[in-house]
Amino acid sequence: MLLLFGAWQLSVPLVGMSSYFYPAPADVFAAFVDLVRKGILPVYLADSVLRYLTGMVAGATLGIAAGVLIGVHRTAALALSPLLKFLFAIVEVAWIPIFVVWFGYGIETIVLALIYVVFFPVLYNTLLGVRTAPQILVNAVRSLGASRADVLRLVILPSALPGIITGLRLGAGFAFRGLVFAEMVAAKTGIGYLIFEGAQSQQTARTIVGMIVMGLLWLAIDQFYLRPIERATIQTWGLTVDAAERT
Amino acid sequence: MLRLPAIATALLLLALAAYALAAQIGARDKLAALEPQPEARGDYAITLAFAPERFHQVLLQDKGRLVAVRGHTVYMKDVEPAALRSIARNYWVQSVARWSGS
Repeated sequence: MLLLFGAWQLSVPLVGMSSYFYPAPADVFAAFVDLVRKGILPVYLADSVLRYLTGMVAGATLGIAAGVLIGVHRTAALALSPLLKFLFAIVEVAWIPIFVVWFGYGIETIVLALIYVVFFPVLYNTLLGVRTAPQILVNAVRSLGASRADVLRLVILPSALPGIITGLRLGAGFAFRGLVFAEMVAAKTGIGYLIFEGAQSQQTARTIVGMIVMGLLWLAIDQFYLRPIERATIQTWGLTVDAAERT
Repeated sequence: MLRLPAIATALLLLALAAYALAAQIGARDKLAALEPQPEARGDYAITLAFAPERFHQVLLQDKGRLVAVRGHTVYMKDVEPAALRSIARNYWVQSVARWSGS
């Protein structure tokens, strides 16, 4: 990382462009300090994180619920599959203008766009996990007198967990990209808006600050939350080789 | 197993609490100059450490009627006491003073 910044700084005199076209790391650092001093970056960061978390939690909850429902219920699968396939084809970018018309610029529009982005990867990975639950285990639990709820709790959900976690990771990544785009189009605050507005107002260094903050935020989310939760969930509940060996 | 997310969340909450506390203390100091403390809507001059940008103007407009911006100072009318306290909690607000409204 330091090498990258060093090379970047050294390349500035070689490129010989103005800081508007090619800001040096020192310009970007100055822009970062300025944004913090003026209270802009903390507010934008907090707004982005709040929107991201809200969209992620709501989208993941709906995706998991729909995935399990479609996976275990044949009628629900028949009824919902065509609609879901139709909606899956319409990318969230196409929905944002409609959401802006309905809800205006702000958190509702962005959260709805994020729910849409998160919902499908979570749904399809959950569905895959549910449908690939070992039938032998389902039969074994049933033969012991388990109810449908017991089968779901004891076999299907633990088997589906690796799929659910994969879906959550995919959804988390897609939501992050969706957040930047949605904030560029439908917000007046947030890191996506900072990136967009910086470029619009010829403050390229601010745009790069926004991009770096976005990258660091994703690294932090992945390192401190997604990876440990993935590891813990699969080890504790998932039907992995490790788990099977322990029992 | 979930020690890392727990520690990260705890540190984050701790930082937020420290920030909120510092903002509260800062607001009290800035409003101490306004004796007697405001109990009704009033007109105020909000001075920043820099020329306000659109971000600050939009944020302040939510708290009252923004009348003018001169240099580093934003002049506002009809600001509720609660809104004034919330303005003063921002660390980028340098001082708050009563303004005659003209």
